Amino acid sequence: MRRVGAGAGALLLLVVVVPVLLPDPVATDFAAILRPPSAAHPLGTDQLGRDVAARLLVGARLTLGLSVVTVLVTGAVGTAVGLACGYAGGRAGRAVLRLTDLLAALPTVLFGLLAAVVLGPGPVALLIAVTLVGWTPFARQAHQLTVREVGQGYVEGAAALGAGRVRVLGGHVLRNVARPLVAHACVRLAGTLLAVSGLSFLGLGIQPPTPEWGAMVAEGREFLFAAPHVVLAPSVAVVLVAALALLAGRALGDSAAGRRSPARSRAGCREHPRRSAGGNRMGDPPAPP
Amino acid sequence: MLGPLLRRLLPLPLILLAASVVAFALPRLVGGDVTRAVLRARVAADAPDPAVAARVAAELGLDGPVVGQYLRWLGAVLRGDLGIGYVARTPVADQLGSALGVSGLLTGAALVLAAVLGVPAGVFAARRPGGPLDRALSAAGIAGIAVPEFVLAPWLVLVFAVGAGMLPAIGWGAPEHLVLPVLTLAAYPAALAAQLVRAETIDVLGRDHVRLARAKGLPERRVLWRHAARLALTSVTSLSGMFVAGLLGGAVVVETVFGIPGVGRLLLDAVLARDLPVVQAGTLVLVAVAVVAGMVAEVAQLALDPVAHDREADR
Repeated sequence: MRRVGAGAGALLLLVVVVPVLLPDPVATDFAAILRPPSAAHPLGTDQLGRDVAARLLVGARLTLGLSVVTVLVTGAVGTAVGLACGYAGGRAGRAVLRLTDLLAALPTVLFGLLAAVVLGPGPVALLIAVTLVGWTPFARQAHQLTVREVGQGYVEGAAALGAGRVRVLGGHVLRNVARPLVAHACVRLAGTLLAVSGLSFLGLGIQPPTPEWGAMVAEGREFLFAAPHVVLAPSVAVVLVAALALLAGRALGDSAAGRRSPARSRAGCREHPRRSAGGNRMGDPPAPP
Repeated sequence: MLGPLLRRLLPLPLILLAASVVAFALPRLVGGDVTRAVLRARVAADAPDPAVAARVAAELGLDGPVVGQYLRWLGAVLRGDLGIGYVARTPVADQLGSALGVSGLLTGAALVLAAVLGVPAGVFAARRPGGPLDRALSAAGIAGIAVPEFVLAPWLVLVFAVGAGMLPAIGWGAPEHLVLPVLTLAAYPAALAAQLVRAETIDVLGRDHVRLARAKGLPERRVLWRHAARLALTSVTSLSGMFVAGLLGGAVVVETVFGIPGVGRLLLDAVLARDLPVVQAGTLVLVAVAVVAGMVAEVAQLALDPVAHDREADR
């Protein structure tokens, strides 16, 4: 956990502070086109002579910033929906959940395409597209966790003591499902990052010359053979951050599962043995771009 | 059996109807005058002659009240008339028909490859959770999910097409054109399948019927595949929505990178060119494919899995 925090801190430092020291990410230099890495340009230059390292780090702000904002928004919405459905149950809860499942089966790219056609390609269309379906995995996860918690004694106890629905859910249930949900958010961060950069790669999101990792891959793809370093830098960045987020999610999920297990064995045999085994370990995989 | 089946199929027409409303509303949401947009696309004239504009509006079914327009449009769509593409000026149904065949082949091949790779990987990993094979496969799985199609595709092209010269970089028509696109597209679903099958199999291996099978003295291989993996697979089937969404989304990227004339590229090109009839039809087709595939998988799961059947009866 501490290592994850340190890693995030280092990344933040890299993204916020270092670009100040680097050359302008959109300044072109036609005397130095597609140069391999050198002292002046640590990751080389692209087809317009722009510094790849500067573009990578400034692009990180955009790519990661958009992803984090999206995960926070979709996480809040999805958790609220999942908690409400899990607690209320019944016909209405099932209907909402069914709708969620159907929506989750639609590719994010479809929403990206529609948003781009209506609003024109850009950051606004991009954000709307990734938000429209992004909340569904959270809702599914929160629902699953809530259903498990609602059967426990403390929920009944809180309700018996006169706590209202909002209080039971927000004050008691949420506190107990928060850990696995944070783990899920890490996994979703990977999925959202891939969606944001993937849509930008297709030309539906952030537009050149603004540096964004997916757009950088798209721009550099034409020069892949002559200058692979232009594509290599954003490729590695995308994969590395996505893999780190997935690993962080898995580690958090494991520790959450470990923490819950004594309580669960006390809850006794009421629970189906299936529920207590796998579940969180696998961590819901991210939605594809 | 019939009750749950019907309950699952019931939302299908509703979803398609909702998708049709979205598709119909699209040109109106885009704003601006569609007729003028069409004229501009065709003749590059900014200020059209009113008489011409009226004729084009009638031709496109854009005159009269909105509800009437919708019903007329829906009727035409149901008869298979999806309109004329603004850019190619050929019937959208024809463009979409050939593209669907191409995309179907591509995604079908990718799905088969993903199942062939992912399912055994998941089952073998579940045999000894935490063992060396499990850890190796889990690392591969993380890579499969973290490496998106738009990163994997260019590097595969660089290594196998440009570097080794073994395979064509782009194009469509010959069997060797399938190799790199299918590999790219299969990576994510294979990793996803391995992860899900692993978790489910570990789960099932702890159940009573597996203990019974072992107590009977059945060889471990038989226990693993016949008694555990089969049951695990039926539960994974119910998560098919994620596979469908992954494949359809990935297909857009893969078809664009490899120059494959499929639905994904048709739709992307149409969006970038604002070719609205193609976007409308493509949206309908994608939603229909996603929803129908999900339903088929759920029904298959219901038919295969006795536990789900019982659970359904309990409700």
